[in-house]
Amino acid sequence: MVVEWFEYSVTLVGIFISFCMYTTLYGKENPLRSWAEFSYLAAGTGVSVTWAVWYIYTTAIVNIQAGDIILFASIILGLMMLFRVHPKYSYISRVPLAFTVGVQLALSLRTIIFTDFLVQINATIIKLWTGVPKDFLYQVTIAVSVISILTFFLYTLEVTGPLLMTSKLGEYLMYIGFGAIFAQTFMGRLGLFVGYMERLTTPVWKQPYTIASAIICLLAAVFFEKSGLGKKLSAG
Amino acid sequence: MTKEEGFDLFRWMATYDKRWIYVILFIVVLYPLMRPVGMPITVSELTRDYYDQINSLKEGDIVFDSWNMEFSGYMELKPGVLATHRIFIEKGVKLCIAFGHFEGVAIPDVVFSELRSVMQEYDYRELDDYIILGYILPNEAAVAALAQDFHGVVRQDWKGNPIEGTFLDQITNAGDFAMINDYTTGLATTFEVRHMVLTYGTPMVVNCIGVSIPGALANLDAGLYTGLLASTRGGAELEYLIGAPGPGLKSMDAFTFGHYMLIIFIIIGNIGHYGWARRTRYRDRTGIR
Repeated sequence: MVVEWFEYSVTLVGIFISFCMYTTLYGKENPLRSWAEFSYLAAGTGVSVTWAVWYIYTTAIVNIQAGDIILFASIILGLMMLFRVHPKYSYISRVPLAFTVGVQLALSLRTIIFTDFLVQINATIIKLWTGVPKDFLYQVTIAVSVISILTFFLYTLEVTGPLLMTSKLGEYLMYIGFGAIFAQTFMGRLGLFVGYMERLTTPVWKQPYTIASAIICLLAAVFFEKSGLGKKLSAG
Repeated sequence: MTKEEGFDLFRWMATYDKRWIYVILFIVVLYPLMRPVGMPITVSELTRDYYDQINSLKEGDIVFDSWNMEFSGYMELKPGVLATHRIFIEKGVKLCIAFGHFEGVAIPDVVFSELRSVMQEYDYRELDDYIILGYILPNEAAVAALAQDFHGVVRQDWKGNPIEGTFLDQITNAGDFAMINDYTTGLATTFEVRHMVLTYGTPMVVNCIGVSIPGALANLDAGLYTGLLASTRGGAELEYLIGAPGPGLKSMDAFTFGHYMLIIFIIIGNIGHYGWARRTRYRDRTGIR
């Protein structure tokens, strides 16, 4: 019973705080939005720090206890990073930073040349006709798009004659691509919104609270704007 | 600037208060979620290929289940997460679950509580069938180390239980996983591609958010991914394909109406622009009313 009541209260507060956050769409400052935003930031920071400490414990402390003493070096490097906040000794933090950047670059460069470059080029240079008309259409579209868009980015010579035509074609193909990306972006953002609203309306008992929270927050946003209290009471 | 008098429809279409869009979007999304209409849905080839990949796994296969998402991403990927895990549980696939974001650690409770009935039906239990390692994919170095020497990096699950003596004893490096199953908003996914797929050749299927689909399609074409489930829509298609309706299919009405709404507002905005804004410039330039 206690657990049920706890979950029930958490859900109700969650619904209300969500709509408080949505009042940012009203475009005017109000204290509800500030409260929701700062609550989220505080909770997010708390969780983030807790899990960072947990990560250090499980991957460093536990492994040191198991005999992997080389990990002492990483603990020392991590501690050196903390000197960043000290004005006099902040230069010490440059050592672990340099180490991190070096490791990151080495790890990336070894593979990025394949995943982001060679493999992608390899996937573009393919047989056009494989016996399936639909695939042929796709392959030709990819081939024409890649070649014409590449000509759009030719900066070292004057683009005239046939090159001008392929360059223009490339430009329009990019517009089509941008349109498709925008549509995917909208679909993604709508998916996020719909997914969350689905959570706020399932099971059915949540629905009255969802609608009530939406109306209360909208009316509150209008009230705070009309009364002039919004700017005064919000944290900016 | 000349003062305009009376109601001008074109002017209204170009200058109406944009906050109405949000109000209408809330109504358009909330209403079909509360009163589903049941719009028809078709299953794309992309989702069928993804399903074939998942379905090809055998009982006892170990999958690296990478949850590279926060709660916001989970809201979009939820249908795919639930449907895919339902398949895993029914097939008896063993899961090694890891997170690429600290918010991810709160998601398993939500997912496994929604799948409780199917887990009970197939007697699917933590440590025996799935192990949650926690937030262990914070950066590229961590992923690379994990891929190379699995037990050298992780010795316990997120609750402190030792992983020695579990099914993870069969894993020495990333090449021992039958598959990588990744839910992504774009966190450690590229690191997994570089250090698990490219280095060890482990097949990887991805369920990504809508914004990432164009990039993910390029990786699919390049063979870096073997399957792709595209956003909520893909999840809904998978639910339909396996005959287990869930949040995805329920969301599709809201999705459809939301897209219609965007198209209508784009048309209104463009008519307003050409009918009023351009005419205003013409008036200002020529003085002809």
